[in-house]
Amino acid sequence: MIPKKLDFENLKIESPDSLPKMERRKFLKMGFAVTGLLAGGKILSLLSIADESFASSKEQYPYKPHYSMLIYQNRCIDCELCMEACVKTNNVPSYGYRTTILKRKVPKAVEQQVEFIPILCNQCNRPPCVTGCPTKATYKDKQNGIVMMNYKKCIGCKTCMTACPYNARYYNEEIHSVDKCDFCFASRLSKGIATTACAEACPAKVRIFGDLADSGSEVYRMVHQVEKTVWVIRPESGAAPNIFYTRG
Amino acid sequence: MKIFKISLIFILILSGLYFFMTNSLLAEQAGSEDIIIYTKPVKAVSFNHKAHSEDYGISCNICHDKLFQMEASNVEKKGDFNHKSFSKGKYCGACHDGKKGFAMDKQCTRCHIGAKGLNKTGKK
Repeated sequence: MIPKKLDFENLKIESPDSLPKMERRKFLKMGFAVTGLLAGGKILSLLSIADESFASSKEQYPYKPHYSMLIYQNRCIDCELCMEACVKTNNVPSYGYRTTILKRKVPKAVEQQVEFIPILCNQCNRPPCVTGCPTKATYKDKQNGIVMMNYKKCIGCKTCMTACPYNARYYNEEIHSVDKCDFCFASRLSKGIATTACAEACPAKVRIFGDLADSGSEVYRMVHQVEKTVWVIRPESGAAPNIFYTRG
Repeated sequence: MKIFKISLIFILILSGLYFFMTNSLLAEQAGSEDIIIYTKPVKAVSFNHKAHSEDYGISCNICHDKLFQMEASNVEKKGDFNHKSFSKGKYCGACHDGKKGFAMDKQCTRCHIGAKGLNKTGKK
């Protein structure tokens, strides 16, 4: 008998909530979070929770140094000095960016209505761009965890650009390769300079660059406290990003 | 016919020029641009002169001439037009102390409209 074809267009949107609690717990015990229930419950969307992106004090950071950045979102005034410094330091063409600033407007808010949100590559622990790359042109550095590019291997298929949840990649037409933020590794860190160009250029101390594996760093201290909320952008992507946001 | 055409164009240009000049002169005389954009020491800082003088009902002598000279943006030429001075009660800090006006270490984007806010105003 030929099985009946799935009528995808008329399938109901189903949330994980419709799965019985005991069932979900069963999966949790196996190390999976149920993130979706598709095709009438025949297909389960599962996500590994083995190493969740929570910054618990017990967590061991896999890289040394484990480079990351903390962004005090409310301090940003969109002066674009970070972007200018980045372009100058890393030779970024005008049609691309390694870091940019988003604007969030809440017109009905009391008093202040605008907030600026600096974004850059999140140097994810589970980078979808690396998973997607067919030639291993983009890879996670084994020592410091920076998501890097091997320009010679890039074939320009742009799979990584599509895979990136943060829109942090651009195609550099001059070198015929995708390019991205490398936390200024090539231009600065590898030459012994301690911080990125954007963090250095910021007049409002928005960007704090540091080592998440170093318990003495400001990044570590802010990520491991409970008084102030710290968040990441698009946690649902499961990429375990390393750019943290807070206010203060 | 041709002379008529040329003279018409000439008159149009002249009148246009006249309008343009008188307009800009008038604006300068009154010295009351509704919104002043500061670019130093950091770009895209907006000051709504109209709101301060009309909506909030602050009389001219509160700011002029002690805190700010009448000429717009003249204050930028001084070396100390910055937050450090504000916290000592200079310039904007005279009122923006958290009591009279909102505190200057909070709600940054109400004055700092940023490059994106600047693009919207169409000013440079």
